[in-house]
Amino acid sequence: MSHKGIGASIPRKEDERFLKGRGEYVGDLFRPGLLEVAFVRSPHAHARILGITRPIKGIVYTAADLAAVPPIRAQINLPGYRATEQPILADRKVLFVGQSVAMCLAKSRALAEDLSEEVGVDYEELPPVLDVADALRPDAPRLHEDRPDNLLSVLNAEAPIDAIAAAAPVHVTRHYTNARQAMAPLEGRAILAEWNDRADQLVVHVGHQNPHVFRAALAIALNLEERRIRIIAPDIGGGFGYKAPAYPEEIAVCWAAMKLHRPVRWIEDRFEHLTAGASAREISGTVHAHADAEGRILALDVDFAVNIGAYSFWPHTGAFEAVQAIGIIPGPYRIRHYRARSKTVLTNKPPQTPYRAVARPAACFMMELTIDAVARAVGKEPHEVRALNLVSAAEMPYASITGKLYDSGDYPASLRSALSAIDLPAWRLKQAAPRADGRAIGVGIAMYTEHTGISTNTFGTMGIALMPGYEQANARLTPDGDIEVAMGVQNHGQGMETTMAQVASEVLGIDPGRVRLLHGDTGLTPYSTGTYASRAMVMNGGAVAAACERLAERMRPLAAHLMQCAAHEVGFSGGRATGPGGATVGFGEIGRLWYKTPNELPPGVDPAGLDVTAGYRPEDDRGAFSYSTHVAVVAVDRDFGSVEILDYVVADDCGTRVNPMIVDGQVLGGTAQGIGTALYEECLFDASGQPKSVTLADYILPGPTEIPAIRLLPTETPSPKTRFGIKGVGEGGAIAPAPALLNAINDALRADGVELGAAPATPDRILAAIEIARGARAGAAP
Amino acid sequence: MPDIRLSVNGEAIEESAEARLTLADLLRERLHLTATHLGCEQGVCGACTVLVDGVPVRSCIRFAAACDGQAVQSLEGLEHDPVMEALRAAFTRHHALQCGYCTPGMLIMARDVVLRLPDADPARIRLEMSGNLCRCTGYLGIIEAIHAVILARRG
Repeated sequence: MSHKGIGASIPRKEDERFLKGRGEYVGDLFRPGLLEVAFVRSPHAHARILGITRPIKGIVYTAADLAAVPPIRAQINLPGYRATEQPILADRKVLFVGQSVAMCLAKSRALAEDLSEEVGVDYEELPPVLDVADALRPDAPRLHEDRPDNLLSVLNAEAPIDAIAAAAPVHVTRHYTNARQAMAPLEGRAILAEWNDRADQLVVHVGHQNPHVFRAALAIALNLEERRIRIIAPDIGGGFGYKAPAYPEEIAVCWAAMKLHRPVRWIEDRFEHLTAGASAREISGTVHAHADAEGRILALDVDFAVNIGAYSFWPHTGAFEAVQAIGIIPGPYRIRHYRARSKTVLTNKPPQTPYRAVARPAACFMMELTIDAVARAVGKEPHEVRALNLVSAAEMPYASITGKLYDSGDYPASLRSALSAIDLPAWRLKQAAPRADGRAIGVGIAMYTEHTGISTNTFGTMGIALMPGYEQANARLTPDGDIEVAMGVQNHGQGMETTMAQVASEVLGIDPGRVRLLHGDTGLTPYSTGTYASRAMVMNGGAVAAACERLAERMRPLAAHLMQCAAHEVGFSGGRATGPGGATVGFGEIGRLWYKTPNELPPGVDPAGLDVTAGYRPEDDRGAFSYSTHVAVVAVDRDFGSVEILDYVVADDCGTRVNPMIVDGQVLGGTAQGIGTALYEECLFDASGQPKSVTLADYILPGPTEIPAIRLLPTETPSPKTRFGIKGVGEGGAIAPAPALLNAINDALRADGVELGAAPATPDRILAAIEIARGARAGAAP
Repeated sequence: MPDIRLSVNGEAIEESAEARLTLADLLRERLHLTATHLGCEQGVCGACTVLVDGVPVRSCIRFAAACDGQAVQSLEGLEHDPVMEALRAAFTRHHALQCGYCTPGMLIMARDVVLRLPDADPARIRLEMSGNLCRCTGYLGIIEAIHAVILARRG
């Protein structure tokens, strides 16, 4: 057997079923007597519900029916945070367009939608508050009338930086905005709930990244013991964070399945997703950077606001974005004086939830555009100012100003590698020469360091309701000599059915094809907080290794008995146990001995058998920091405001790569989503809070012609903190494209006096910025 | 009395079909052929692409009644198609899928590109595939996989 363990780019085990159209998504499940759900949703951003008229016939439920179900309430131990109460179905008020007011059930979705049109809801419209400034006005309408204002939380990292800032010779101030986005997995949310009397359980098939956590949510909502709930997350058509929280619609579906004692299914459609699910990344802020004449940043002063929407989500809360942004804004730079202030603000938009990398794209955006602004102020190349400020390899491990320990890496080498691949001098020459098509050329850089594998230490300081602890996995030898591994995380595109088998292969020397992964089922797997925050490969990879090692210890005396050698002489390779003098014995023989012919077992074997659960958490669990440099080259059309990406390189380091092909896929896919953030994706609302981008023809996802052939320059700096040196990579690619592309656009339009600070850089925004710059120049002229 | 008669993956089908029944819902909900996925039901994302009389069609915005007398092929019906076999192998080799949700529509469209455009280069393939959205991969693997099949067929 060639090496198929850690480091091998073996093809994915999960591909075959998908390539034959045999994946099993929630929408593919059918049940006799199934009822489908359509929700009646609010047409208003802010209104009081005066009354609801039900149709004469048909199954319709409203808040009055769900009186026993408590509202969603997420707690976090942060000063200045007060939880919101989100009803499962709106009762007194609606707080965003698309909020569910009633649920209608019928034999098909079409019939359920027919029924929903017969439900009458009387509203008294209230003035909506949509942006941060409006929401914070003293006389602003309050969303939640039991609160004194529209603030969800205030989080500040205060520091005495004023004297240092004042003494600095260079001052740069910039304002930044990041548009609200929809995560837009191709499959929306999906759930099928049914009561199983044999098991005495509510059995829920749901597209959920964190099945065990979702079970906890249902236990609270339905007042049901966790043993009486089984969550099965089958194949999922993309998550990206969208399928990590507990949503009211899913709770309502489970409630109805119990109430009716019938299977009930709800499949979110695209219109629902782009209205009620328009829920990510709306962050704006102002950055003051104080630098020396060379461009060294002496002090950084940040003030930002998160437009969190109407409610605080469960379990991590709406304050999570600000916590994360404050911690990571300084990025890979040596910044020793830092102050950050934040407000998380409630508005009449859908509740914001974490999307791939949570607040890090906005944090990186603010930092990286500021670095370029400093470079302009001191008259240097942006890469020179970066090099001046980057933490060096010699400084590792580096304690950041926000208390994070950057465990390992060579950030300057990452920058050099990306720059060398892009050939900056050549582009500078092309930039200076006039082009036949009149387009302007620009080069932009963005860098980040990403906190992955965050664990008890990090979440513990935040006091979140459910924090990750020791990750556990179960490994067992089957009677015929293969391996089954059960894990509490859920695989939805990350390739974990392959990579976790590679970890087992690394430990046990068995072909990954002989390792079967069980995941996504609370009835079959150890508890886990799930697949989010780039944690699964770090934490669960360690757990699978630990379980396989313990299993090896149990197999060793049995193999020794079969080969008549000492247990310590037994090794594992080529899918067999090996002994002295070239002796080998197949795993099938070991399985036969234990399971089928235990009369032949030697005395003194461990009666616990060949089925073990073991756990893992890094001894120092403060996290492993992946890092990356993105460099983009663009051509900007000044007449149409369009942007073409001419070249794009990513120098990425996520420590030891279990399967480089899969890592590349994660980086490419994340970068593509980031290009969407940079140039295309924006949930637009009109002045009354009506969403305007409610089809995929209005909300533009990048397609094959928008994403260039991104060039990857991977390196591997193993983390000294984690098993095998693995760092997380799932989210990283999505962080840097917006600042890299905005910096490139600003570089292209520098002569025009344009400096955009708002993403996405749509043609409208680019043309408006050119127009404003022209006006400013004309105004400045005598 | 059936409303429509059509062939699905070579099998004769007779179904009642209310006017609003889409081809996608006919395939998925009536015939339980679930390889055809619904990503937007607005005719944009391409996940529901099937062949109708050999031509790629978005089954989410094609009424079933409009397919009366036509031959429909979904991914299930192309399992043993030699081009599809080559595409499946290339998609795995080039890591052209992650969550798998867009994959059936991608494959049906890719097969059409391979058969229709034997000289297509990566830029042309991107243009031809621009009606199919993938949220996971960043498309590079998909484009490379299709190009590899085209090159292999060229010999």
